Amino acid sequence: MRVALSPAGRLRRPLPAVSGAAAIWALVLLAAVVAALLLPAFRSPENLANLARQSAVLGLIALGQTFVIAAGLIDLSVGVIAGLVVVLACALMQGDPGAMVWVSAAMLALGAGIGTVNGLLLNLLRLNPLILTFGMLSVLQGAIFTFTDRSVGRPSPQLSALANGSVMGVPHSLILLLAVAAALHVLLTRARFGHHLLAAGGQPEAARRAGVNVERVRLAALALAGFCAAAGGLVLAGRLGTGFPLAGAGLELDSIVAVVLGGALLAGGRASVIGTLGGVLALAMLSNVLNLMGVSSFVQTFVKGAVVVAAVILAQARRGGQA
Amino acid sequence: MSVPPLAETLAGVLARHTAMVMLLAIFLAAVMVSDAFLDPRYLGNVLRQAAPLGIAAIGVTCVMILGGVDLSVGAVISLTAVVCAVAMNGQPEALWPAVALACAVGLGVGLVNGVLIAVTRVSPFILTLGTGIAVVGLAQIYSGGTARGIVSPGFREALNLRLGGWMPVLALGFLGLAALGYAVQRWSVFGRQLFLIGANPRAATLAGLPVRRVTIAAYALSGLFGALAGVALLARSGVSGSLSGQGMEFQVLAAVVLGGTTFDGGRGGIPGTVAGVLVLVIAFNLVNISGLSFHVQLILMGAIIVLASALYGRLGRAGA
Amino acid sequence: MLAVRQTLAALGVAALCVAASAPAAQETLEAQRAAAAEPVDTSAFRRDPPYRIGVSAGYLSNSWVVFALQHIRWEASLHPISEIIVTDAAFNPAKQIADIEDLMQREIDLLIYWPVDDRAIEDTLSRVVERGVATVQAGGGFNDHPGTITSAYISQWELGEMVARRLMEDLGGQGRIIAMLPIAGTTAAVDQLAALEHVLQEFPDIDLASVEYGDWNRARAKQITENLLQRFPRIDGVFSPAGQMSIGVAEAFDEAGRLDEVTMSPGDEYNGWLKWVAQHGQGGAVTFPPRAGQVAMQAAMRILAGEPVTRGIQVPSEFIPPDEIGAHVAMDRPDDWWATALPDAFLPN
Repeated sequence: MRVALSPAGRLRRPLPAVSGAAAIWALVLLAAVVAALLLPAFRSPENLANLARQSAVLGLIALGQTFVIAAGLIDLSVGVIAGLVVVLACALMQGDPGAMVWVSAAMLALGAGIGTVNGLLLNLLRLNPLILTFGMLSVLQGAIFTFTDRSVGRPSPQLSALANGSVMGVPHSLILLLAVAAALHVLLTRARFGHHLLAAGGQPEAARRAGVNVERVRLAALALAGFCAAAGGLVLAGRLGTGFPLAGAGLELDSIVAVVLGGALLAGGRASVIGTLGGVLALAMLSNVLNLMGVSSFVQTFVKGAVVVAAVILAQARRGGQA
Repeated sequence: MSVPPLAETLAGVLARHTAMVMLLAIFLAAVMVSDAFLDPRYLGNVLRQAAPLGIAAIGVTCVMILGGVDLSVGAVISLTAVVCAVAMNGQPEALWPAVALACAVGLGVGLVNGVLIAVTRVSPFILTLGTGIAVVGLAQIYSGGTARGIVSPGFREALNLRLGGWMPVLALGFLGLAALGYAVQRWSVFGRQLFLIGANPRAATLAGLPVRRVTIAAYALSGLFGALAGVALLARSGVSGSLSGQGMEFQVLAAVVLGGTTFDGGRGGIPGTVAGVLVLVIAFNLVNISGLSFHVQLILMGAIIVLASALYGRLGRAGA
Repeated sequence: MLAVRQTLAALGVAALCVAASAPAAQETLEAQRAAAAEPVDTSAFRRDPPYRIGVSAGYLSNSWVVFALQHIRWEASLHPISEIIVTDAAFNPAKQIADIEDLMQREIDLLIYWPVDDRAIEDTLSRVVERGVATVQAGGGFNDHPGTITSAYISQWELGEMVARRLMEDLGGQGRIIAMLPIAGTTAAVDQLAALEHVLQEFPDIDLASVEYGDWNRARAKQITENLLQRFPRIDGVFSPAGQMSIGVAEAFDEAGRLDEVTMSPGDEYNGWLKWVAQHGQGGAVTFPPRAGQVAMQAAMRILAGEPVTRGIQVPSEFIPPDEIGAHVAMDRPDDWWATALPDAFLPN
């Protein structure tokens, strides 16, 4: 969403730019219809539930990344934050149901904390966010490995139920994802924070003149991303059933791809929660459908790359070249 | 807005010296830990280890001076290493054609990147991320999962030969390519155009500079150097796997940034990159030789990158 | 100095990791053999041909698993199998869970797999078994979890022990050695180290100077060895059961001009290593057979016919002395190749 500024510098209500989100959902729904027609295995309710469960972790992480990219930043550390949470949660819970609440709360706080550290360092050291969060990724991954080099612990049974269970055929993790998405959607589109965030991302100087505390907004975005990454990590822990040290690897890049597929601008100022969900679903469907078609995994990798390139170019073309 | 002067800005000069200071500092630290770092043969080893990373970083430096980024370079290294080995097929006469083929492949990927970025003006980060994934898929499809190919006899021996008993030919090749890159950067029209466009793309377009052509050339160059890095990797370690370049794009990025070239474009350069590469490789070996676990390398790398970037940030503002 | 404290801390953590696992001493080995010999009633998994087989590969990015997969395909060609569907998790355990779910959607009759991480897919495998689809593990260690019906397993401990004993013999029971292991935390690394330490108890004159992890990567093994050569003025022996890494280690010694001082342990039947053995006449091989894939497929066919199988079918390692390497090495094939009996039609690429 672009934020329009009146000549006096006051922020007006943001204009909805649904085009990016609508485009990805149109694509996803079209692909889903085609797949459902051609692949009976795809349209079975169980497969659709699987698909939802397979998307939940990336979905949560990508929601946080949405805010970061809206602010004109990038966060490469979200994957390793999720991974850290997987290892620590399993190590601390050790399968004990009584540990669920306090460990989960601690993990969410940890994620938000790491995000806050990212934000503080960003503002203090005035680093490029790519470099900062990449440095954080390295440090945290090294720290995880120093703590353990093999799978440890076990999550509380509630987490496993959250990640793998369903109610009336609808997976728990999907319900969680949609709830979080709804809340964040409101935050981004209706709350003042969201307006300030998009302003800070799209036109930082003008936003500053309009009274937005750009540094604080950026810090909040990174803290939120850390929080969401931790939430994703908890669900991932439930899904894996063990604290695998490399659990989060690669999720940060996938989350960026999902947000960009959803119509966001990497430069900042334009992002959509609904679009991001579409991007996440697109990535999950790619893997699911190609697996069901029996396509070799090597070809799958190529297709994924080609799809990202094509989607990003099409989005740019649709924008008519305005950067 | 006025176009900045042709010469590097003061900040750029300071940044370049910072890279050297950093290199000196880590070298001194290394020497304190182990006097192996004073042994020319060992240093030759270190330079040889640095060669694939360094060669790839030369190409990526050009792209980053322009204000872009190339995340596909690791994938290009993987693909070209396998292509080169397969084309050699153990035949001595196939050596140069195989290297040429690998270079062509790298150049091709670079051209695809460059054309797409120049024409559609899409974000280089996400575009090269996508092409990188696609190239990894290509490398796996081509190799079928096993690292096919047999290196030509004499290829590895020639490149690993130590001149004067200590300097491997491969390391010399890396330094030679770096010198070539520096010459281009400093004295050629293309080099000047890179800096101008990177510093202020809008002004450069208005001034009539061939922005599109320079962009395409920069990415093509990055792809070409990626291919050379793949060949270098093949020489250093033989045929060892179909994804030998995996993850290298971020190490390359780290080295380039350590050397003073920033994402903003318009400043930095190859000498800094060479220093950045050496800092990283010395740091890795320092951790290894002091008996610390490999995981400490990761922590060290992250810390070095963040601290060094912060330093450059301060200098940049001080010098601007 | 900070470095010293850090080194001690790292060593402490490493020791904890090793001690905490402390598996497979002699007694555990006996217990494992006993557990493996237990018969399994497979009547619940009986299906009518033709069969659709799902293969969930934890990774397909190294040549060993590619060969194991080809062995699966080769054996499959001898039976009424309509389709083999292969998925690749690319070292991502969450993806392996998703892959197995997707394979179940394809209504496979049986699942063959090798894990990224055993524990991460335990629950998923249990669900597969509960739905009447048998699971067969190929090529990893012995797995006693109810989610795995049988394992065509290779005992990394026995492999490591054979390699260690051979090295002791060649060294005459004394000297300084280093150990080059695969990815830290994997069954292979853990069991090989345990076997080495078990054997070393009988040879007090051996000094295990350093344990390194080369991640099955030739270049990394070489780089690590270059640094080890700087730290230690004399290294008498190298314990390296993975041939792919042994080549890197040997090259480092060679380039430092110190190849004569060192004795290499047997590696595996990685073709590049076999070429080195043929050239230098030392080392030999203790096999790590990719035909575990074939054994897994054979077990699968018995299960699908409702015939009983044992919980574990060991694919034994054999020792090939250096002078018999000629029969196994393929000089005209790439280094990244494995000695094999696969017919030409089934060789990779």
